[in-house]
Amino acid sequence: MELISQGIVSGVLIGGLYALMSLGLSLSWGALKIINLAHFSFILLSAYLVYQMSVSYSLDPLLTALIVVPLFFVVGAAMQVFFHKVQVDEFKSLIITFGIFIILQSLIRTIWSADFRRIGSELNPYETQSIFVGRIALPVSQLIAFGAAVLIAVGMSLLLSRTYFGKAVRAVAQDRDMARAFGVDPRRVAVILSGLTTAFSALAGVFIAVGQTIFPGLAVGWFGVVFSVVILGGLGNTLGTLTAGVVVGVANGAASVTWGPLAAPLVTFLILIAALLFRPDGLLTKRSVA
Amino acid sequence: MKAPRRRRYLILITVLALIAAACGGDGTTETTAPPDTETTAPSDGETTTSEEMEEPSGEPIRIGGTLALTGVLAATGIIHEAVGEVFVERLNEQGGLLGRPVEWVLLDDESVPDQSAAAYERLITEDEVDLVIGPYGTGNITSAMAVAERYGYVFPHHTASLTYAYNYACHFSSWSTGLHPNITNPNLIYDALESTGTPPETIGFVVNEFPGTMFIAYGQDGTDEGGAVALAEDRGWDVVLDLTFPTATSDWAPIAAQIRDADPDFLYIAGLGVNASQLITAMQAIDYSPAGMFSQWPAPGPLLQTEGADGIMSVTVFEEHPPFTDDPEAVEVSALINQALADAGIPYTKVETQAAASWTAWEYLQQAAEGAGSLDQEAMCDWLLENGVDTLYQGHIDFRPDEQNYFEDLSKLKQIQDGDWWVVYPEEFAAPDRSLIFSPDE
Repeated sequence: MELISQGIVSGVLIGGLYALMSLGLSLSWGALKIINLAHFSFILLSAYLVYQMSVSYSLDPLLTALIVVPLFFVVGAAMQVFFHKVQVDEFKSLIITFGIFIILQSLIRTIWSADFRRIGSELNPYETQSIFVGRIALPVSQLIAFGAAVLIAVGMSLLLSRTYFGKAVRAVAQDRDMARAFGVDPRRVAVILSGLTTAFSALAGVFIAVGQTIFPGLAVGWFGVVFSVVILGGLGNTLGTLTAGVVVGVANGAASVTWGPLAAPLVTFLILIAALLFRPDGLLTKRSVA
Repeated sequence: MKAPRRRRYLILITVLALIAAACGGDGTTETTAPPDTETTAPSDGETTTSEEMEEPSGEPIRIGGTLALTGVLAATGIIHEAVGEVFVERLNEQGGLLGRPVEWVLLDDESVPDQSAAAYERLITEDEVDLVIGPYGTGNITSAMAVAERYGYVFPHHTASLTYAYNYACHFSSWSTGLHPNITNPNLIYDALESTGTPPETIGFVVNEFPGTMFIAYGQDGTDEGGAVALAEDRGWDVVLDLTFPTATSDWAPIAAQIRDADPDFLYIAGLGVNASQLITAMQAIDYSPAGMFSQWPAPGPLLQTEGADGIMSVTVFEEHPPFTDDPEAVEVSALINQALADAGIPYTKVETQAAASWTAWEYLQQAAEGAGSLDQEAMCDWLLENGVDTLYQGHIDFRPDEQNYFEDLSKLKQIQDGDWWVVYPEEFAAPDRSLIFSPDE
């Protein structure tokens, strides 16, 4: 029982990280119609920057978020300006952002080499710290990542549903020309939203650097789980994405402790297939931006 | 505006195709054509060696090979690149091979076995290289070996793990695991544990589903010979956990929870790269640590930085401490390799199994050509089989044709103590004042 409980708790917490990694892509795809594959390399690049700042300047890795998140907001905004200029659609965005993904991966490899990088425990106490409820452990870094995912998912949900900016985003997502006719500047909205989504990826990168050993090939392994969470959560649906992250995390954790670790990826993709068949628009479709 | 369902499926298919492309080389290199990264060893005469060497002259001898310079295996592939560059540079400084300069034609196989095979085909048939040296990675080596065999090339290679599968008469592994590492490696560890007088009573296994680690843990498919799990049972140890995990595992918490639940005296991690490092971190997060741990083929640097990894064991063929460094040439060459690794931006620069095996493979080629007095592949192959090779890092090696050219398992057991790796077993290879630390009661 304790084993199952630990598996489920770990699944919930890792689900928060999955959600954090997926929120930016979901919003970008749902609201901007940009399938941003560069999102994965932004997460990785952020992780490398966090690593570098920590080891070079002995900075607390979590505090580096104060630098990388605003920095990536600017990068994301600039990227959207570029997309606007070349007038990308959904399919073009796949190719262009895949190109950016390749370029960033090469850049990372050139700067940091292909070898493994890890923030040493003397600089990164979060990695192994936990809060215990009985014998059930709640790793601190995952708890913080989960909290950040909840804050962003709920915050973005409120922002999108209750503010002028949110209405503008939804209007742009539904019909750009009509939104423009009503005084919304689609370009400005898109630039801000792109900045936000890229900032979310930067935040995910912070937690990756805190919790894992990083290497250039790491990002490829995220595609499966992140796309599963995005599809399952519904495009542009932040609360759906959070829910989907937790569902995938818990399913993985429970499958792993019940049937063994080999069952975990199988369960993830079974969930994805089931979602595509029975809930193709996501778990919580009503709240979707798109 | 919701995307029509059909359009969404189409997008997903496109995404999957792009992922497949990215998986090939972690998205870092051209996916439409093999890259032409060509490393040419300098032979500009700016030698700094004190020995008077004759300048190599004539047509360069071209040695072709691929390495995983990008993709999932690149973290180790770049070690082999740095070592090869040092070897070729030093060889040219010392007069070249058969009096001729040596040029290394190195291609990036992007960690993909198919690309490796295609590149060797190209190196042999189009580039017409004189010699070949193997790539890095079990799958890549296996694929490339078939090409080398087809064209009758001598095929030295570094660290392929499916020993039983290699029966090409002119393949020469430089990784001294012996033909049956699924027996000899676990026995080395178990003998070491028993030598402490307090062997474990219970043991747990977590096994990467990678073929090489599955072979070590469970033996060869279709036979009942060896395997770490069976050998532990043979010693009367209670196997309380036996988990296989996917190679791409990123969430280690459920595995850590199962280990804590089983609570073995000794944990055998038949894993690769950073598997052990990630797993130990996950175990630390749930406040658990077994009394003893072993990791089959870890990345040594990240493990040193991992909290809770002190005391973990692994296997090696060379470490930079006595008695391995009693040979001054080993010290000199190791310093060159350390510098090359540092120049390549690699954080952990010490010579251990990968770098040592890489150097040894180059020595095979050099001594075969010099011994045979020509670049004739058959003559070189025969010479190696008849004479063996004097290696810097692994001593004299005699190949055993009746054991698919493998030789004895020269692995030693090393352990992290006081923040560094030290060989601790067998005793005659142990670092000064170091011995295996293991007590199941702790």
